[in-house]
Amino acid sequence: MNQLNVGETVLQARNVHKTFGTKGNTQHVLKGIDLRVTRSEFVGIMGPSGSGKTTLLNVLATIDYKTDGTVLIDDEDISKLSNTALSAFRRNKLGFIFQDYNLLDTLTVKENILLPISLSKMSRRKAESEFTSIADVLDIKALSHKYPHELSGGQKQRTAAGRALIHQPSIVFADEPTGALDSKSASSLLDVMEKVNQQRGVTVVMVTHDPVASSYCSRVVFLRDGKIYSELYRGDKTRHAFFNEIMDVQAVLGGDHVDSF
Amino acid sequence: MLTVFELALRSMRQNVKHYYLYFFALIFSMSLYFVFTSLQHDQAVQNMTHPSVDFFAGFQIGGVILIVIVGIFTISANGIFLRRRSREIGLYQLIGLSKGWVARYLMIENILLGLGALLAAIICGALISRLFVLFLLNLLGLEGIVDISFSVPAAFKTLMVYLLIIVITSIQMMLKVYRSTLLNLFQADKRPDLTKPPKAVASAIFALLGLVLIGYGYELSGHINKQLFLNALLMLGSIVAGTYLLFRVTIRWCFYRFRKRKDGHLGLTNSLSMAPLMHHTKANANSLTLITLLSAMTITMISMAYSFYYSVEQETRRDLPYDFMFENEPQEALSFKKELEKEGIDVKHHVVEAVLTMGIILDPNDESRKFEESLLWLPAEQLKQTGADLNIPPDGEAILYNAGASLAGDLDEQSKRYPTEIELEQHGQTVMYTLRTLMERNIMNLNAPGTQLLVSEATMDKIAEQMAGTPDYKKIRFETYQVPDKEELAIASSLYNAKYVSDERLTYDFYTQYKVVLQTTGLLIFIAAFLGLVFLISTGSILYFKQMTEAEQEKQSFKTLRQLGFDVDMIMKGIIRKQAIVFLLPLSIGMLHSIFAIEAASFMIRSDTTFPASIAMAIYTVIYLVFALFTIGYYRNIVKKAMS
Repeated sequence: MNQLNVGETVLQARNVHKTFGTKGNTQHVLKGIDLRVTRSEFVGIMGPSGSGKTTLLNVLATIDYKTDGTVLIDDEDISKLSNTALSAFRRNKLGFIFQDYNLLDTLTVKENILLPISLSKMSRRKAESEFTSIADVLDIKALSHKYPHELSGGQKQRTAAGRALIHQPSIVFADEPTGALDSKSASSLLDVMEKVNQQRGVTVVMVTHDPVASSYCSRVVFLRDGKIYSELYRGDKTRHAFFNEIMDVQAVLGGDHVDSF
Repeated sequence: MLTVFELALRSMRQNVKHYYLYFFALIFSMSLYFVFTSLQHDQAVQNMTHPSVDFFAGFQIGGVILIVIVGIFTISANGIFLRRRSREIGLYQLIGLSKGWVARYLMIENILLGLGALLAAIICGALISRLFVLFLLNLLGLEGIVDISFSVPAAFKTLMVYLLIIVITSIQMMLKVYRSTLLNLFQADKRPDLTKPPKAVASAIFALLGLVLIGYGYELSGHINKQLFLNALLMLGSIVAGTYLLFRVTIRWCFYRFRKRKDGHLGLTNSLSMAPLMHHTKANANSLTLITLLSAMTITMISMAYSFYYSVEQETRRDLPYDFMFENEPQEALSFKKELEKEGIDVKHHVVEAVLTMGIILDPNDESRKFEESLLWLPAEQLKQTGADLNIPPDGEAILYNAGASLAGDLDEQSKRYPTEIELEQHGQTVMYTLRTLMERNIMNLNAPGTQLLVSEATMDKIAEQMAGTPDYKKIRFETYQVPDKEELAIASSLYNAKYVSDERLTYDFYTQYKVVLQTTGLLIFIAAFLGLVFLISTGSILYFKQMTEAEQEKQSFKTLRQLGFDVDMIMKGIIRKQAIVFLLPLSIGMLHSIFAIEAASFMIRSDTTFPASIAMAIYTVIYLVFALFTIGYYRNIVKKAMS
């Protein structure tokens, strides 16, 4: 397990800009974002549709390229990495959870989860024990040999979470992980993510439009029109109190309608 | 308001990039059919070949096989494309269009597409048929310029094939539209065939059965020429069934065992090769079986045809060791020699004096089998003078020369009969001579009378002395001519054919015989190569289409893998392994099948088939692998673009 130096910076974004389109027809989606994520933080990114939250996540997660600014992950400037190095970086340091799971249909739960470490030099015994401990936390041990089409949405997303965690990444990026789940599966997934975050000290950056989901975070960043609008820290507040605070900001921001708590 | 027709046209324009392969496949198969039938109906080439070469029949059989393969190919390709378009078909129904409408729409599209392909095929065919004529003439050893004109009957036949294709594919489309539920249509991509573990005992039994059946088929191929028809049928049946079981059960069983042992630690490369293959076992089993059998058939066909063609000269030499032979015809022989000399042809002339008697060759394995036959005793010393390749047998011993021996049954079986005895009846007394062994060639031309026995001159003289005066005893004076120069031989042959051929007796000259066989086998290799090419392109295209479709379906997986940090080369490693399995497995099993099939059929050829068969296989493999490269290229493109 990583040495946990709480307070150490894992991700640092400085003045990040992103424009889409060609000359004359450009769309300025991110307009100078500064963001610092420290070890063991669980950061939620919220904002109305079109505010640039998914774009921000993609840029931070090295899936998309920034137009300007710098992104450092573990003190490494990701824009300076070659394609091969970037792939290796993603493979070793980052974990991903997507809204639509993106599991490989042809692989079992266990095979899907073990995929990220398939090219690492980890011994089979070590991999097996890693898998067991993660599968226990995620409560999917019994599903090990099932295929994705035999699983419910929640089970699929927990499998995806397992895949994102198996290689002990520095940071996990989650893009609307509860977006396709019913509220019960969603809260059980979020419970698990919270548990993983607290017990294993995994750093998580999650994009969501759901205030319930973000109430699990330790900090929520609100975007509007490609800029950071405000930030909320949970501190010692109860989740309910934090949820209400989030709702207040959300009301000012406008945009997405909100499910009741 | 759009009519069905307009919508079909519009959708075709938009889907061109999906269709173009299907379209090219249609054009290709129809244009080859057009070329083939054009040649069949072309009089010019036919007139140039020897009358004994059955030009028309060869092409007719070839044409039928061609239609069959075009049919199989179209069904497979159309099946793949329908599967690919399942979602679209479902969508039309979802927005409230009737099944009848959808079927009609697909059929109109298909007819238009086919019509375009037909036109293109006839134009292409007309353009390339000249090339094929030149190729054919070259193979037949003919020279001359032949103008092939546009063949109306060929165009008509191609039109018929087009109609046949339309009928078959329309039925397929109607079945697809009317038989499948909406759910099926939408889940066509996702539905795995078999992810449940195979039943251990039953699978193991069937897995073994597959191997046993193939083994039995191979075993049968070893002695196929006893009860040829029955054995050939049994062999075919057991190999076809065995191959299917091999792909459907055996290989899946092996994969399953392997995967189970890995217990989740499958690794990226296997995840991208073995897992998707197991995911569609049923569909894969069908197509891989089809491709294996087609490959086996094609390789056998072209290997045999090429072996025939390749060994024409050797084979003819086995029958006719001398270019010309005269038997007790001193005047004719002399005048032929004078004619040759007048033409300035360099000729080697020899006289061989032989003896013909009646006698019995005993069979030590079958005492009761005793029948009297004409025996031709040939003096080894005299034959050696003519340049024949032989060893002089010791006195009192004979060697049997029979070029047609292998046609009478298994050679190994026959050789067990030797050494044996020859029994000669002379004035109430019996004399015995030893028959040492059998050579599978003639020592005198085919048309010499009697069974050819090589003895030392002393032995022959002794036999002549002993047998003189017995019934059917005869002295024969052979005069042999060899013309070493190929061009001079052709002239000599035409001189011989002009004057010295008669209907009363058998007259063969080497060159004429060689030409006839060359043309027959040339036609054979042409048809075989032609069919082989169509087979090969069909099997290659079926695999390519299938893999293309799978690549499209796996796009999302590639994107995910790229996002997880696997780069293109890592992913390609898995894909290359998958392609290696998909392409090489049917090729190698098909090739193994064909090796046994060639072995079984090689009793028809006396010369060694190893070299020509290897060449044929090598060419097949190279062209086949080009498709694998195309497929890998297609995948690489998709993986590369997955992230953007």
